[in-house]
Amino acid sequence: MDDIKVNQNPKLGSMDRPNSYIGRSLPRENAKKHLEGGGQFVDDLVLPRMLHVAFLRSPFAHAEIKSINVEEAKTSLGVFDVYTSKEIDEYCTPWVGTLGHLGEMRSPEQTPLAEKIVRWQGEPIAVVIANNRAQAEDALELIEVDWEEKDAQVDMETALDDNAVIIHPELGSNLFWTRTVNQGDVNQAFETSHAVVETTLDFARHTGVTLESRGIVADWNKAEGKITIYHNGQAPHMMQHIIAKHLEINEGLVRIVSRDVGGSFGIKVHVYPDEMAVAAISKKLGRPIKFIADRLESFTTDIHARCHKISGKLGIDKEGKILAMEINDLSGIGPFSMYPRTSAIETNQVLNLSGAPYVIPNYKAVGTVVFQNKTPMCQYRAVGHPIAVAITEALIDKAANKIDIGLSEIRKKNFIPDNAYPNKTPSGVPLEDLSHQASMDKLLTMMNIQEIEKEKIANLDKNVLSGYGVISMCEVTNPSPLFYGVGGAHISSQDGASIRLEGSGAIHLSSSITEQGQGTEAIMKQIAADQLGVSMDSVRVTLGDTDATPYGGGTWASRGAGIGGEAVLKAARTLKDNILDIAAAIMQTDKNSLDVENNTVIRKNGGEGITLQQLAETVYYRGHELPKGTNPELLATASFLIEGIPFVFTNSAMGCKVSIHQDTGIIKIDKFWAVEDCGTQINPKLVEEQIRGGVIQGIGGALFEECVYDDQGNMQNATMADYLVPMAYEMPDIIVDHVTTNSGRSIIGAKGAGEAGTGGAPAVIMNAINNALNQLGKEVVSQPITPEKILRALGKI
Amino acid sequence: MKAPDFSYFEAQNIEDAIKYKSEDDEAVILAGGQSLLPALNMRLSSPSCLIDISKINNLNEIKIEGDFINIGALATHSDVMNNDLVREKYPCLVDILKMVAHAAIRNKGTHGGSIAYGDPAAELPAFAVAMDAEIVLSGLSGQRIVNAKDFYLGLFETDLKSDEILTAIRYPFLSHNQHLIFDEVCRRHGDYAMAGLMAKVELDQSKINNLDLVYFATGDKPNVAQNTARLVIDNGYDYEKLKKSLASEIDFAGDLNSSSEMKLHLATILINKILNKLER
Ligand SMILES: Cc1cc2nc3c(=O)[nH]c(=O)nc-3n(C[C@H](O)[C@H](O)[C@H](O)COP(=O)(O)OP(=O)(O)OC[C@H]3O[C@@H](n4cnc5c(N)ncnc54)[C@H](O)[C@@H]3O)c2cc1C
Repeated sequence: MDDIKVNQNPKLGSMDRPNSYIGRSLPRENAKKHLEGGGQFVDDLVLPRMLHVAFLRSPFAHAEIKSINVEEAKTSLGVFDVYTSKEIDEYCTPWVGTLGHLGEMRSPEQTPLAEKIVRWQGEPIAVVIANNRAQAEDALELIEVDWEEKDAQVDMETALDDNAVIIHPELGSNLFWTRTVNQGDVNQAFETSHAVVETTLDFARHTGVTLESRGIVADWNKAEGKITIYHNGQAPHMMQHIIAKHLEINEGLVRIVSRDVGGSFGIKVHVYPDEMAVAAISKKLGRPIKFIADRLESFTTDIHARCHKISGKLGIDKEGKILAMEINDLSGIGPFSMYPRTSAIETNQVLNLSGAPYVIPNYKAVGTVVFQNKTPMCQYRAVGHPIAVAITEALIDKAANKIDIGLSEIRKKNFIPDNAYPNKTPSGVPLEDLSHQASMDKLLTMMNIQEIEKEKIANLDKNVLSGYGVISMCEVTNPSPLFYGVGGAHISSQDGASIRLEGSGAIHLSSSITEQGQGTEAIMKQIAADQLGVSMDSVRVTLGDTDATPYGGGTWASRGAGIGGEAVLKAARTLKDNILDIAAAIMQTDKNSLDVENNTVIRKNGGEGITLQQLAETVYYRGHELPKGTNPELLATASFLIEGIPFVFTNSAMGCKVSIHQDTGIIKIDKFWAVEDCGTQINPKLVEEQIRGGVIQGIGGALFEECVYDDQGNMQNATMADYLVPMAYEMPDIIVDHVTTNSGRSIIGAKGAGEAGTGGAPAVIMNAINNALNQLGKEVVSQPITPEKILRALGKI
Repeated sequence: MKAPDFSYFEAQNIEDAIKYKSEDDEAVILAGGQSLLPALNMRLSSPSCLIDISKINNLNEIKIEGDFINIGALATHSDVMNNDLVREKYPCLVDILKMVAHAAIRNKGTHGGSIAYGDPAAELPAFAVAMDAEIVLSGLSGQRIVNAKDFYLGLFETDLKSDEILTAIRYPFLSHNQHLIFDEVCRRHGDYAMAGLMAKVELDQSKINNLDLVYFATGDKPNVAQNTARLVIDNGYDYEKLKKSLASEIDFAGDLNSSSEMKLHLATILINKILNKLER
């Protein structure tokens, strides 16, 4: 057990007792399984009588289907049938991606297959059902469609113009949603400011690029009236409700199974038309149907994210104290708001989170979300954070430069002090248990900025522009019912855990949290074993099966450890209590003189104990030996949810140093530093993996990733060769450290840690680049920051 | 993304492959499959038959023949990089291949496949042109040798006849005063370049006597910049002059990662990078 970290949470007991696993970097067992190729993903599943599908997708961003002829395709080798919206709509009711708690949202009904009008390139219009995918694809080529191409509204910036193409005529305009936040009086504050700085930033669309693409096998069993859906999603109980509602099946007879899932990043928590079609087809045919998105389909139909243009203004006094901040954000979400979470949340987070680490007495934020003829956009890892953090931190750097004070100095002047919580974001969202001051201090000791400043000057001679940035940010984690449930979505903010002692002495744990590769199973095991006093290898975990796990929300918004983990802790404590009651009865002693260590009930004062196996055998097989009235319950279930506040926030400070080659525009991230305060770290190594992985995804957004469209709305780079994600060579050293402020909302005290890296990296990288370019009086304002953009900024081309 | 139906023929020798190919216009040669198979899966082409030449014996040999090093068409990029002869006689080729894709692709992708495919962004065609390599082609009427300079005709268009298979590439040895220097600029390591340059330099003492500049990832095929090379010999590095010359000599074609202006700029500064490397 190397890598022992001090667990700074007194509520969890000391670390030098047997089976103290919370706070240790233990290896996760399921990593070995994957390394051996022993995982079970949706595509591994082969069911008897299973058929495969391929979708005919719109080649146009906006067009009318004049007619469609599937007759020849039906005769193609291996084809079972070909359906259009007519057949599918009989088995699946339409849905609408709006919620009630955030003001008026306007989005029309959506069906699995488009009937007359297609509104993005990739929208499905017909489906071939065949013996295998290749045969289904062969038949796609035989479907005849008479298209009438329409003008497409591709550019979000002109979507509200008078002469815009109106995508949904019944709505009268392309406006989906708008919100204004107004705290204090920004105009007056700008007037009295010593200096006001402004900027406008652009964020390209990008997407999640999960290792395993979306996949589903739907299996309708007519005799039982039950549908089983194997699905690589993040929220099985949400899907259970959705399938029941739209296929009109009793919700109790919908089973969603999500075994191994190869990455999700928020991509897999939404309802996709093709997946709904697959469920409908299974119900229509009474046969298992498989659909696995190929990479081309992933790029044109997985949700995209970002796609923002945001302008901001910051007013400061002489000392650099912030007096006011104003932002105006525009975002384009494709032709529909996604179901059921809506596509308003990213912009909402931008408005909520901008300026969050700082005291900003006057704050105004306007968000506008419009429709366009591109792939639908929705929540992806670090929803809204990159935009909120980038605009805030870009403005702060500009303010610092304006009055010539240090980059960390201006931040320290404006932080909400660590001892001033509970507090609120400038937008009015409650904050508690944060540590911007301590985190920044720690970051600065890691970075050695004086050295970097010296290097900056030395590098100028070598035709290299060096620069650095430091930022602070808040990360939304552990959401309460105020996130979705309050708006009418059937998305649980509660999670459950069930834990039992079996006859063999083994512990079985099930949880409503799911795993997509982040190590959920490992931390659940650690919490259970730690709290029960058993070895790690005696705990077995079941996740991702609505027939087998407690009810709950699943994995998204960095909630697994903080909410799901707390439920495990509570269930384990109850089970242990029951075990001690039974042991006290068997051992004829006072319960308080007993404890559990190494799978054995021990007498604290010495003397012989009994193993959990002996205890379980007694209860299960020889119950008659127990004193009368002993409660034989060796199963405990508990739930947890966050009450009273919308979110539990995590905070981070990040720094980075970059070098830019002046001739080529190539940007190298020399080093990256992150200090994270996520409260108790159940497994520090897994926390650091989350932060590093998040940072890498943030590097992708900042420097590489972009869904490139032409003027007609055709995606130009829908392959892994053309859509650039950072790879090993592009990954810098990422040094991670921590400050620990436990959340007061739970016993464990864990906050989430899954999204800060992705949320903060784009801001700090952009600031570092602009810190470098600023030596020549230049800047870049558009992500991804490509070599060509650098050269254009430098006036080289 | 499943390939359309095709038949498959595993050739045991070159003669069979040539015969089969000459009988079926729509059959294509399969070597390492690293360029062909993705194109099939994307349904960008639908050949009638794949003639797999990868099992043919001895077609991956690397050997010295007179003043040439002869690389068999089926030698994979990894075979070439790890070959002792190449390491000794042609260390620059090892450095070039390090920039070709990633290890997994280099283990399958073949030298001949890359030369025959003629991707304008690929390193090896430009290398072959700069080195004045001889390309050995076998067809129904026997063997012929085409100079690399004459082999590349246009975008993915080569002098390979429909019954022909590329069997080897023969690179002449560099003399003691000749150097092959290359550089490229990519978005990510292992990507096709935004622009790249193969320069064959002949020195007289430290003065450049002769210079061949061959660009890749700039236009429709390996682009030879003769006039610009002359300017470099005469005047050394002058950014504006060279840029102007390159613009008149090469029809720069932009792509997703770099516009034509970007490519022109990079092509120009690559000359400076090459000259700097020469000094070292
Ligand atoms: C992700 C990725 C990145 C890559 N990056 C680079 C890079 O940076 N630089 C680079 O240069 N290449 C790159 N490549 C391409 C790689 O080098 C290929 O291996 C090479 O271009 C083709 O070789 P192959 O043996 O795989 O040919 P195949 O794919 O088998 O064939 C390609 C074409 O050449 C024809 N052909 C092949 N061999 C012969 C022959 N002996 N005679 C006649 N015709 C023949 C085939 O009919 C086919 O049309 C990359 C490939 C991938 C997948």
